[in-house]
Amino acid sequence: MSVVFDAVMLLLLIATAITVARARDLVAAVVKFGLYSLVLCLVWQHRGAPDVAITEAAVGAGVTSVLFLLTIAKTARSERR
Amino acid sequence: MRVFALALVLVVAATMVIGIAGLPPHGDPDGPVHTHVGARYLEQGVAETGLRNLVTAVLLVYRGFDTFLEVVVIFTALVAVLALPSATRQPPQSRDESAAASRRDTDDAVPVSPVVFLVVRLLAPFIAVFALASLYRGHVTPGGGFQSAAIIGAMMIALGLVFGREHAARLVPHGAKAWLQALGPLVFAVVALVGWRLTGAFLGFPADEAAHALREALVVILEVAIAVGGAVILAQLFMALDAPS
Repeated sequence: MSVVFDAVMLLLLIATAITVARARDLVAAVVKFGLYSLVLCLVWQHRGAPDVAITEAAVGAGVTSVLFLLTIAKTARSERR
Repeated sequence: MRVFALALVLVVAATMVIGIAGLPPHGDPDGPVHTHVGARYLEQGVAETGLRNLVTAVLLVYRGFDTFLEVVVIFTALVAVLALPSATRQPPQSRDESAAASRRDTDDAVPVSPVVFLVVRLLAPFIAVFALASLYRGHVTPGGGFQSAAIIGAMMIALGLVFGREHAARLVPHGAKAWLQALGPLVFAVVALVGWRLTGAFLGFPADEAAHALREALVVILEVAIAVGGAVILAQLFMALDAPS
């Protein structure tokens, strides 16, 4: 069960990472990156690192998303082709 | 170009896979990680530091220099953001201009949904209590200064998003702002000098049994400074980016 959980979570991580890299709309990329952080937070917790999990949830999914969104609001929303 | 990029990715990926294949199995007790200083930390860490949370013991007592510089890195990040011209621009001075500016802000601002407003208002006190609990129990249970800083900082940013930047700015007392931003590095330096005075080593912690209370007090002071300083820095990063340009 533990191995299955790890495998599913790591595959989800890779999948979300690819969708972040492929996103043209930077706001969508930020939202997907928040999802990536959330999955990573579960992985940390499952691997027995609750300290890192708390920080990942607060900083990775919370603070950096807001800072990225504010930066996008000040610059451009889509990547130059 | 595409072929070159693909080749580069394959080479880097192959190097990584070969490197990972050479690592000892995860959790292997005979791995180099667990036979060097790690073994000593696990066997004697609790007795030597008096801290039941070994992560905190390694972070603050055994690896104090790393943590000191980590705090300095966070502070430096804030200094870099504040050095950007748009972050330090003064708000308009005359009343007409500032009225126009605030009208422009409200025009630009998307009204906050009542659901988000209510959820943030309801959750904020609980988030604050959780942060304080993780700080207060940090030397016993998982958590501590950095976790607490991240949680309080995220809460302040959520409040700032919902109530607007004028209200968020009031969360950090204006007069003490500069000192609070530098609280982590400053207190770390003071504790390091106190340790130097007591033990003869920079960032040293008194090791004998009689100094248990003093050692714990130093660790708690460090944790509080990391939490408050880190939270203020996160909030200031948000406010610097949120300022009207």
